[in-house]
Amino acid sequence: MIQIKDLRFYYPKSKIILDNITLDFIPGNIYGLFGKNGEGKSTLMKIMTGLLFPKAGYYRVLGENISGRNVKCLQDIFMVPEDFELPGLKISTYEQVNSPFYPRFSRDQFYKLIEEFKLSTDENISTLSFGNKKKVLIAFGIATNTKLLLMDEPTNGLDIPSKSQFRKIMALAVDEGKCIIISTHQVRDLHSLINHVVILDQSKVAFDQPLSNVSEHLWFGKPRRDTKESIIYSETSFGGKAMLFREDRDETEVDLELLFNAVLSESNRINNALNTFHDGTI
Amino acid sequence: MEQFNIKRIGSFIYRDIILLKGAILTTLSVASAIFFIVFLFSLRGDHQISSGEFMSIFGKFYIALGVLFIFSTFKEAHNQKSNHLYFSLPVSSYERIAAAWLSTFVVYTLVFSILGFLVGQITIILGSMFSETNFHLLPIFSESYWQLVKVYFVIQPVFLYGAIAFNKNRVGKTLLVVVLLVFGLIVLNMMLFGMLNYGYDVFSGEGLASEAFDKTGQDFSGMGKGFFMGIFVPLMLLASYFKIVEKEV
Repeated sequence: MIQIKDLRFYYPKSKIILDNITLDFIPGNIYGLFGKNGEGKSTLMKIMTGLLFPKAGYYRVLGENISGRNVKCLQDIFMVPEDFELPGLKISTYEQVNSPFYPRFSRDQFYKLIEEFKLSTDENISTLSFGNKKKVLIAFGIATNTKLLLMDEPTNGLDIPSKSQFRKIMALAVDEGKCIIISTHQVRDLHSLINHVVILDQSKVAFDQPLSNVSEHLWFGKPRRDTKESIIYSETSFGGKAMLFREDRDETEVDLELLFNAVLSESNRINNALNTFHDGTI
Repeated sequence: MEQFNIKRIGSFIYRDIILLKGAILTTLSVASAIFFIVFLFSLRGDHQISSGEFMSIFGKFYIALGVLFIFSTFKEAHNQKSNHLYFSLPVSSYERIAAAWLSTFVVYTLVFSILGFLVGQITIILGSMFSETNFHLLPIFSESYWQLVKVYFVIQPVFLYGAIAFNKNRVGKTLLVVVLLVFGLIVLNMMLFGMLNYGYDVFSGEGLASEAFDKTGQDFSGMGKGFFMGIFVPLMLLASYFKIVEKEV
């Protein structure tokens, strides 16, 4: 769905934001795009939507060069930006003026999601809180039924019940033909939602693995004292959680926060280990 | 054609109008109120509104509000918090330019002319009910009306380009560019005149020169203006198209 090879981007008179980025996004997956603040997550999302043009590299979105902002291509992409301003219209009017541009837009789905988010279609968007505005845009984005749905920090501004509601809605939204990419620096918010992790660090891809591969080969939890040698990464806080090679231990749920921190400090070791497992040499 | 769809242009114009609904209604209401007051004053004396009286007030607002409307149309494209949604909307750059031209020239001219006519006509009807005014149809389609529309037709793409190209102080920067352009053309004109007429000892300030200009203007104005509009307007629209194509958020 999205192929990116050796992509490079920098803003004028600025340091390199994205350097030699090579990624492949496949339909049927929910990708978690993680990284510290300023690591280029939003920039990468904007490039994938055709809002920014890379300085070098090969990239194709749905087989097209998205920089041309081809209508057919844009009809299959929707992005929920991190910070946005919606017009002061009723929710129903907002839907009426924007939905005609998306051929697979489902009004029923939109109004059902609005109801699920406990919003009224007669409410004026300008009177809503930022979190509720975000819910309107998330509902609209899902209802467009585009093949590619990009969300930049979608849980920012959402309260705790809304975050779990968001996870539930997103899990239902994905199907075989759809690819969802969610960028965030709050890794916990995507717990049990994503099935592939991409981590950006120092302008590069530090980690790009399906979660099934991670849970198959890595173990997360409080290790026994005698397993100290196989610890890849550990944190003294939160009761001494650690990430180990799974070996013959029972499979555990992937601790995204621990994985993220581990990748930032031991990316080469983790990547080498997972790639070796993946290649079948171990 | 997937990149040029009339229905999509219609939807985009409708979207623009709905987004600017508040500003449009306020502006038109204020303009109507001013028109009404001025037309009431025009009814004094001869008890009628002549085309000259109509044009004196209509002309003052038509171009100024048209220019403001052009800049309002592209406000969303320059707002850091809304331009993501504007540029990711599945509308091609051709369609964006076509929609902007249609709404800020064709639709605007129609709506503003109808508004001017209706306010004038209502003023005449009220005048005939409460004063000695004889009922008459407001003569809006005068030669000066079409002249004004022609002027707006030529300058509209310039402001359209400015509205897309500049991110901040867009009105001021566009006006500055227009002033500099006109000034440059005057200087070029004077230089060419001096160079071509040097041998005849005729200079641009002399009576003979202005007479020659008038005659040339009369002989070639229709053709020249047609040529100018036929080249200049599409050229500016094309430049606006390329500007929108290369625009990033």
